[in-house]
Amino acid sequence: MVRDLCMFAGLNENSKIVWFKITYSKDPGSLSPIIDFLEKQSVLIRIGHFDNMNMETGEYSVFTEIGNEVDLEELSRKIEELEAVLKVEYGISENRMIHGVDFPLNVIGVRAIIARAPTLVDIIRTLNENAPHAEGLLTLSGLKGGIHAAKYFKSIMPLDDNNFTSPLVELYKAVGWGILEIECDPVTFEGKIIVRDSFIADVYGESEQPVCAYMSGYFAGYLTEYSGKAIKVREISCKATGKNVCEHIISLASPSISPEHQPRGDTR
Amino acid sequence: MIKQPNVILGNDELLVTMGRKGDILGLFYPRRDHAQHVEESLACIHTGEKLLWTNDNDWHSIQNYIEDTNIVSTKLYHDSGIRISILDLVHPEVPVLIRRFKVQSQQKMSGKFFYYSNLNVGETPKKNSGFCDTEARLLAQYWQNYYIGIYALPEFTEWQIGKAMDTIWWTNSKYDMEDGKLQRNKEDIGNINNAVGWDLELEADGANEFVIFIGAASSRSLLYKRMHELSKLPLEHIFEKTREHWVMWLAKKHVLKMPGLEGHNNLRQELFNAYNRALLMLYLLNDREHGSFVAAPEFDSHFEKCGGYGFCWNRDTSEVVLALKHSGYPEYCDRFFKWCIRTQLPNGSWFQRYWLNGDIAPSWGNFDYSTQIDETGSTLHAMDIYYRILEGLKKVEFLEEVWVTVLRAAEYLMKRTKSGLHESCMDLWETYYGVFTYTNASIYAGLMGASHLAEENGESGMARRWKKRAEFIKQATIDRFWLQEGYFAKGILNEKLDKTIDASILGAYMPFGMLSPKDPVERDMILFLIENIQKKLSIPINAGNGIKRYENDSYIDGNPWIITTLWLSEAMFAFVLDLPKGQEGQYAEEVKKLTSEGIKYLRWALAGATSTGLLPEQVDKSTGKPAWAIPLGWSGSLMLDNILLLDKICRRNAGNQE
Repeated sequence: MVRDLCMFAGLNENSKIVWFKITYSKDPGSLSPIIDFLEKQSVLIRIGHFDNMNMETGEYSVFTEIGNEVDLEELSRKIEELEAVLKVEYGISENRMIHGVDFPLNVIGVRAIIARAPTLVDIIRTLNENAPHAEGLLTLSGLKGGIHAAKYFKSIMPLDDNNFTSPLVELYKAVGWGILEIECDPVTFEGKIIVRDSFIADVYGESEQPVCAYMSGYFAGYLTEYSGKAIKVREISCKATGKNVCEHIISLASPSISPEHQPRGDTR
Repeated sequence: MIKQPNVILGNDELLVTMGRKGDILGLFYPRRDHAQHVEESLACIHTGEKLLWTNDNDWHSIQNYIEDTNIVSTKLYHDSGIRISILDLVHPEVPVLIRRFKVQSQQKMSGKFFYYSNLNVGETPKKNSGFCDTEARLLAQYWQNYYIGIYALPEFTEWQIGKAMDTIWWTNSKYDMEDGKLQRNKEDIGNINNAVGWDLELEADGANEFVIFIGAASSRSLLYKRMHELSKLPLEHIFEKTREHWVMWLAKKHVLKMPGLEGHNNLRQELFNAYNRALLMLYLLNDREHGSFVAAPEFDSHFEKCGGYGFCWNRDTSEVVLALKHSGYPEYCDRFFKWCIRTQLPNGSWFQRYWLNGDIAPSWGNFDYSTQIDETGSTLHAMDIYYRILEGLKKVEFLEEVWVTVLRAAEYLMKRTKSGLHESCMDLWETYYGVFTYTNASIYAGLMGASHLAEENGESGMARRWKKRAEFIKQATIDRFWLQEGYFAKGILNEKLDKTIDASILGAYMPFGMLSPKDPVERDMILFLIENIQKKLSIPINAGNGIKRYENDSYIDGNPWIITTLWLSEAMFAFVLDLPKGQEGQYAEEVKKLTSEGIKYLRWALAGATSTGLLPEQVDKSTGKPAWAIPLGWSGSLMLDNILLLDKICRRNAGNQE
């Protein structure tokens, strides 16, 4: 999934931030000697993650803080000499602020970026303020994202009526979009989604209207792709309007419904 | 999003622009400038598993016109083995586009054929209304008195009218097609889109045919009647009638001979084709009712990246109607000058640009300092040239008709050139404010033309006065702007002489004739101009050189332009023809060189055309592909002028001057 790291470190003139990407063979107990070795070399491990590249090999990416006197070339060579290690790459974060190991990022099978929430919310706000049919436009944009997510999950794991919502919950949390509570009947597709700390509503500021149409569209796309039925998702309550959480109602789409006959205003 | 067409077609009321894969980009009715009713309109196949949109990258296309017509053939090939042949034509008498789709597949397939449209009838997504009359099998969308209808043979079996941009996404026709089945909603309002569909059952190498009629009308009943009547006619009959219409119209043209060009790698045939194509293209840019022309079919109506092209400029149109006159179609001059009489401003000048009906268009030239005086000069110059070819009663009547207009325009030019150079205004590229060589040359030509018309009208006092001023302008322009380096400065910008070399300085010779090869000094000046422009403005691409507008041009990446390149070749050809009689031998080497180089520029322009032969405004300096406005009427008119001049040279060389 996320195959990258970023970090923030305070100023320390005596040390530098160094990342290592260590590819190793996944024999039983092969990782421990690597970690032990780093500790013995007085390498301060700040953050690290593992990626199971395949059945035979894995990747251990680690951000470290190392004294300026250490010869990195030498250290890298020593790591590479460890029995299970296949390859070592390293780099220095010159500015000690933010650094990535892998480029480009990848989330659920496609190129991803890390963006500040205001970056996206500014786009949403600009659309709302200037574009006709902004809510529809955002719904359709979200729809595409949701359809992609469901297709991706279906391709890598068996989705069924018991687990179809859980990858979505994990994804939203992992990418920082919000904390989801989903209640959705897999037969009638009636239900609701509570979004706590929606990044859109959090950053948007006060609004008289719900502002998370993009997420409604995303949920609709996800559920539609999973169920094979047209699913309607509508945000009926939004944190941007002063509520504690955002709430999206799920229902089967009804072809006869037309927005001309739908109440506008408070609940939309 | 801005999309440039690869092909255009139409009739007097309808203008359609299309992409290279047969997707409709614009449908203008009833005028070429308004209203544009289409956001998107194209075919799509549902394979049983997924949608294949015909404008996707997976399709390869070959698109061309049926020879000597505005009928379009587009062939699409998909990697999966599906092939679609599209024949597009607009009925010559009614505003209906007829699209015949022939779908073939190498493998057996069971799916759907859809035709999807996102219409903005009345050029607005607001307050549209759409319905599907399932008895008449007519799908229509309307706004006020604009009606666009879709009818098909065989009749479509399913349909959808839905919201194009709304939270109720499942009614959106585009999404509705995803499952291969349309919901059959019969009516809706607002920003809507629609789709119609048929079963597509193909045996291996089998074919299905669908004919779609997209018609326009000013009322519901007229739309019904048109579609009904048209659907009764065999397609072959309509095709033949349309083909005949174009062939007959082309038959009026001045016939080219081009003797001696037979050996030039098919050049002769290429020029014949380019000549016909430019004529057919200009027909489609002309508003028959008002006599005006759009510079190009509009493709940037929001003015996102430029000021738009779907308007009439006197500068462009003066050249267009003269080129058409030289090509055997003088009636375009007559209609355009009537339009000029109507659109002249109270102060005697013409505005930057107009809607085709004569209303002033959106402009950044609303003041004396921002107007473009060359447009007034060009118009007077063109009026005089037209007058000179008229004979008898027609000549008298034309002069009577335009005299007051000429008088007012000439006096406007007098008022703005008291010092010999024109007062500060905007240049022809609509970018700079100042005093310009091109503008002075156009005023010179305008006043000389007006002087001739005054003389013909018995107003010799006026004739003398205007001629005297014209000569004063010529002298002042040469004195102030001619540089030792051998070219005219662009002009005076910010009160300083701007020595930037600008291809428009060729205007001093062509088309405005301020310099003449008959004068030995001016003859050398013209040759220096030609040489310096070649030296400083050439951009190598497409196995030749195109000419950019001026040094450091940054508009749309500073590409070479067709008109600047064809100005240069036109100047070369004209120079050859303008040499004083009996002195050609003295310049034999020069004549040979200029003719041969002119042909190279002409070929370069042809290489920059679309696959269908339409000339753009620019050629992309990196890819060599047609760029920006497509097709540009002005480019077409210069192609006509060039070909006619080359024809004269060929005939003269062959000893067969007519």
